[in-house]
This record gives sequence, structure tokens and C-alpha cells, in this order.
Amino acid sequence: MEKKDSGIILSIKDVSKSFPGVKALDNVSVDIARGIVHGIVGENGAGKSTLMKILSGVYTKDTGTVVFDGETIEHTTPIESLNRGLSIIYQEFNLVNTMSVGENIFLGRFAEMHGMRGTHAEARKLLDSIGCTIDTRTMVGDLSAAEKQMVEITKALSFQSKLIIMDEPSSSLTSDELKQLFLIIHDLKARGVSIIYISHKLDEIFELCDIVTVMRDGHVIDTKPVGELTRADMITKMVGRSIEHEYPERPRCAGETLMEVRSINTHKLHDISFELKKGEILGLVGLVGAGRTEIVRAICGADKVHGHQVLINGKPVKIKKPADAKKLGIGLLPEDRKLQGLVLRFSVQSNIVMASLDNMTKFGFVDSSKEKGIAERQINNLCIKTPSAQTQVLSLSGGNQQKCVVGRWLEINPQILIMDEPTRGIDVGAKYEIYVLMKQVVENGGSIIMISSELPEVLNMSNRVLTICEGRITGEFNPETVSAQTIMDSAIG
Amino acid sequence: MTKRFSLKNFLLNYLVLVAIVLLVIITIMVEPKFLSGENLTNIMRQFGPLSFVSLGMTFVIIGGFIDLSVAGIISLVAVVTVSLIDPLGQVQALIIGVALGAFLGFLNSMVLISAGALTQAEALFITFGMSAVYSAIALIYTDGATQHMSWLTGNQSIFDAIGSGTVGILSVSFLIFLVSLGALWIFHNKTYNGRAISYTGGNKVAAELSGIPIKRSVVLIYTICGLMAAIGAVVLFSRITTAAPIIGKGYETNAILSVVVGGTTLKGGKGSVLRTVLGVLLITLMSNCMNLLGVSPYMQIVLKGSILVVAIWLDNRKEQ
Repeated sequence: MEKKDSGIILSIKDVSKSFPGVKALDNVSVDIARGIVHGIVGENGAGKSTLMKILSGVYTKDTGTVVFDGETIEHTTPIESLNRGLSIIYQEFNLVNTMSVGENIFLGRFAEMHGMRGTHAEARKLLDSIGCTIDTRTMVGDLSAAEKQMVEITKALSFQSKLIIMDEPSSSLTSDELKQLFLIIHDLKARGVSIIYISHKLDEIFELCDIVTVMRDGHVIDTKPVGELTRADMITKMVGRSIEHEYPERPRCAGETLMEVRSINTHKLHDISFELKKGEILGLVGLVGAGRTEIVRAICGADKVHGHQVLINGKPVKIKKPADAKKLGIGLLPEDRKLQGLVLRFSVQSNIVMASLDNMTKFGFVDSSKEKGIAERQINNLCIKTPSAQTQVLSLSGGNQQKCVVGRWLEINPQILIMDEPTRGIDVGAKYEIYVLMKQVVENGGSIIMISSELPEVLNMSNRVLTICEGRITGEFNPETVSAQTIMDSAIG
Repeated sequence: MTKRFSLKNFLLNYLVLVAIVLLVIITIMVEPKFLSGENLTNIMRQFGPLSFVSLGMTFVIIGGFIDLSVAGIISLVAVVTVSLIDPLGQVQALIIGVALGAFLGFLNSMVLISAGALTQAEALFITFGMSAVYSAIALIYTDGATQHMSWLTGNQSIFDAIGSGTVGILSVSFLIFLVSLGALWIFHNKTYNGRAISYTGGNKVAAELSGIPIKRSVVLIYTICGLMAAIGAVVLFSRITTAAPIIGKGYETNAILSVVVGGTTLKGGKGSVLRTVLGVLLITLMSNCMNLLGVSPYMQIVLKGSILVVAIWLDNRKEQ
């Protein structure tokens, strides 16, 4: 084997990996240079996560070679990777919430640090080196997402990492926190550490990365310096076709008041009152944790809340549990598709009929031919890509899984459809399809409450936007006439 | 992907059938007495009580929970029913006994719901506690004494029929079993409430958000389990004609063993009463064969425990 150029920290050559029925990676080759920020973009299912898991040792590659820092790596485990100097920071952090910052950084290595005093002293030094002022004795559970991320970065540094992989690091950060993250990344780069930055958000890639690799369907489509690509090029490479419109034309169907919500008060929400019009798409904008999800869960009866009032068509209604909401034609598309939306081990059909099954019964018996008909209808209507209605929903892509949950609610002809992060983790093409479905719902007389952390989609789809900050409604805007900056300022408070 | 036949998957899914066949062949080769009419009747009888308890347990496990209290329910139902035959008459005793089982199951579900215990682990400990309570009540009620049906003066014709009667070549208890199996299969696969139980076991959060009545599912699974345990208790004491206050001991583990070995996953959501029948058959045959082959009772416990572990191990290796 030829001697690797020492300017390359990680060389991946012809790596393939198959899962039953899917070729997740197909002859992937990428070189990561020392001291640069290398972006990896691609839709969900493009193979980014699989590649990272092979590097960290969670998965084993089928074929190909991986050379890290001049050393060919055949089999590895997460801890061996760390010791070699390769750290991965996952979207959901790997920290122990009930232990202190210092303990987390040197977890399992207290002896090397000569006990707790040494641990905290060393942790302090490392935190200072990235300009972070968190007290090393604070419990990690009390930290914000941004602070946890810094602890993760510090932990990576404590292993003398030469390469740090960050998987969607910005997903729970505010814009100020993101700026600070970028400063830290620039500083790491100056010290010669390489960063692999995986993100959906193209703005960040353009701002931060030196080189970008685009992946699609398990292949590397292109690797280029960022300056040589335009945003449109990148999207075209990601989806394999050019996308003319990211959003359908904004529906304008808003009519009379359909639902009024009066004074929801909990320990997290303060005097939440608003109204929803018939045929309207109402966007709720706020930071993660501002209370957006809590508001809709209170309306649906998913959380026990007392003392508030919900009126539909002027008449007060009682919603104590989600089943009551369903009877009134209110459906909730929950924010976490896998944990709250789907029964992953069940078939596509079972998942689609879940909410409407009680309407298909006679004397308590289910009409199974109707059931099949409903599943087929929604699969066709929503273009759900699945081998059959009996396929486990687990094996579908994120976008198709989400369509199953949407189809479930469309089947009850919802008066009000509440969508919490409807496009989270699904690819650009499927996003557009979800937007079109939303448009159909309001055109058929339904109303939608939409929660999203992606400001552009709320602003492009909603007729009206409410901003939520720390459990309060802080503003109401017409997204067609007010700038995104004004709305964001109101959401940050 | 087209569905290909895979030997590995076939074996994982139908291992219990393969095991039954192998077990029968080996036993016949070593001990031809296995096929004698006497032994086959014996198997059918042993099959009885456990099969009823396991059918009920299947629903609890499909619903994502577990029930250790069946041991206590069987003991209490058995002693109460036998003690009521003389004062109230056999029909009344039978009805009260079976209703008591269903009520105790219902009570379990109420305790779980009011405690907000919606995980399998919490159910494990709560029903463990409930079992201790029911068993102790059985002991207090009888003062620790075994109830003998031969001491009773009232008419026991129903219990005689359940215990030893036959219709053609089939025992009465086996017929009751077939009817229960059919009814429960239809309930699970064809009714809304049966399907709701599967959804509850598959993902409680998603089920509740989709308007599936998960509390009703919890009540149903435990009530059915209590009811089936009570029927099992009646079949049991009718056959042996005595009811000791500890008669139900060991049925909870054997029932869970049968359900899991049959292939209903402990993860909840998926499973079938038909699979459980195979599980009960395997466990019953295994006991029978080991007795015929002279395996020591202690060794039998070792084997049963190992089989449970292997069954769970295999379940986690099934292709999703």
C-alpha cells in the first residue's frame, strides 16, 4: 500500500455497507485533510450516518479501506476510535445528566486524573481553552443544549482528538449559540483539528466549511471546495434533480373563527389565548423549549391541564384525552415520529388505520375489507413508497413514514390538524409533498396549526404567525408583510 | 426487496414446531410407552390448566404488560369455589368462582392505572405484590387447610364432568379449551378492542395520541387474564379433586414461559393465542418426556429456565 500523504487525516476508500434489502453505502471514497472543516450534506437516507457509524465502530464495513492518521483500520470499537483521536458528537448527546460537567468530561478516567480534584482542574483548563465559562461542578442535566454541546466538544479534546465529527450540531441552538459554536470550530481548526460537519442546513455549510461532500443514495456525488458550488448546485446534487419550488403557493382559505382557546395556564405556559380560523394555517414560532408543543398537547388533552377553555364554533368543548379531541375532528401529528407517531414494528396498513379503526366497526367487530381499502387509498393518495401495505413501517424512509401518520389523520377528515415539526428529518422532495398535503387540507375546509423550528417553512406556508417565548404569546404577525427578522426578534423576546 | 425464503427466518419463526416434532420423535425412540393411551390422556390433562392460564397471559403480554398475580388468583379462586359448593350449590359456586377471578384481574388493572404504572417493569412488581396478597388471603380463608371435594355432601356433577368427563375421545376440559381459544382468537383479531390491545402493546404513546383507549385495553387484558386463570383453577381442582391454598404456585412462570416460547414477544404488540397453544404443548410434552425419561425434577427446572432465556434470546434475533 502506498504511503499516505501526511496532509490527510482520514482516507476512506471504496467503503460499502449493506443492510437487509438496502445498500446503505456503495463504494464511498472521501479524503479528509488536516485542519479543515469538511461538510457532508445529503438527504435523509443518503448514507451520512451509516458512514459515521462505521468510522466510530458502531457498524462494521463490508468492504473497502479506512486509513486514519496513517494507520489502516479494519475493526474498531467506539472506545478504540476515541483513543485513536476520532470523536463523534451525536445530535442526541452522550452525557450523563446526573453527573457534573467535570465527571462527564473524564468519565471512566478519574484515576488517570488523580481523583476528583485533578479531574475538575483538568476539565477547567480544557473548558477555558475553548473560552467556555461553565462551572465544572454543575450537573449536566441543568445545562442548556448549547452548553451540553460544549461539554461534548471539551470531552473530545480531552482525548487529544485529531478529528471531530459533528452530526447536525445546530439542530437545537439559537442563532447566538450557533455563532459561538462557529467561533469554537474556527479555533479548533487553527489548532490543526479537522472537523466533519454534517448538516441539513446549507447556510451553515456555506458559512463554515472549506470543502463539502454531497452524498445521495449511498454514493458520494461530489467533493468540492465550497466556493466552487452555488446553493442551487448543491440542492440539485443532493436530490438528483433540480427543485424549482421549495414551497407550493400559499393557500388563502382563511374564513370565520373556528376554534378559540382561552387562558391555558400551567407551570410552563402563561395565559395562552388565541383563535384559529376556518381554512387557516396558523404557524407557532418559537425556540425549542418555548412551550409550543405544550400548547398543542394541552389543546388535545395529551397533557393534563385544568382551567382553560376551548370553544369550537362558539361552543365550549371538553377535551380530557386525545380520544375526545379525535371525536371533535382534531388530529395531532406529534413531533417525534418514531416515539410518538408510529408503531414501528407494525405494518403500514396498521399504522394508517390507527385513528379511523373505530369508525369501521359493527358491533365491535372490525370490517377488514374496509381497512384494506383505507390503507390502499392513503398509500395511493399520498404516494407512499412501500412494497406493500403489509410492509413494516420501520423499513420505510422518514418521509414515507411521516406520510403514514398524515394519512392516518386525513382518514378522519380532520377539522383541525395540528402538525408539530411536520418535516423534521425528511428530505427536500418529501417536504414539498407534505406542504402540498397541507394545502389540500385547508382547501377542503380544514384548519392547520403548524409548529416548526424551520422559520422559512412557517413563513412560506402560514397565513398568520404567533410567536411564543418562555411560555407566553409575544406577538402576532402576517408573514407576508412582516420581515423574518422582526418575527424572530419577537420569538427570542 | 422481494421476500426470499430464508431458512434462518423459518427456523426462528417455527422453531417451536420443530422442537415439538423432534421431542416427540426422540421420546418415542427412547421410551415407546409415550404413545400409550394412558400417557396421551395424561398429557391432555396436564395440558388443561396451564393452557387456560397461558391464553389469558398472552393478552397481557401482547398489551405490553405482565401478570405475576395469576398464581394468587388460581389459589384463591380454587379454595373459594370449593368452599361454596356445599352452602350455595355447585352452579352458584362455579359462577362466583369465575367472576372472582375476573374481578381480581380487574382489581390489578385498577391498581396499575391509579398508580400510573404503565411500564412492564412496574406491572411486574405490582402484580408480584398483588399475588402475595391473593395467596395470603387464600391461606387466611382456609386457615392453611386443603379443601377436599370428597368431604363435601353437595352435588358436584359439573366439576366431575370438567375433571374427568369425556365427549367421544375428547375430554370436557379440552372442549372448553377449544371454545375459549376460538373466542379469544376472534376477540383479538376481529374486534376493535382486541386490536386496540395490540396497538397499546406496540406503542402506548402513539396509541393514546391516536385516540386508542389504552386504559380500557389495560382493564381488558388483566380482566381476561384473571378470568382465564379462574377457569384454569376450576379445571385444575376438578381434576385433582382437592384445592390446596397454594395450588396456583408456579403457574405464573410456566404461563409466561409458554407464551414466550410460543413466540409472542415480551416487547408487546405482536403475538397470538395460537402460538401460545404451541408453547403450552411444548412445555407440557417436555415435562412429560422428561418424567418418562427419568430426568430429575431439579434438572427439569434448570432446563425450563434455560429455555425461557433461549426463547428471549432468539426473539431478539428475529429479522425485523
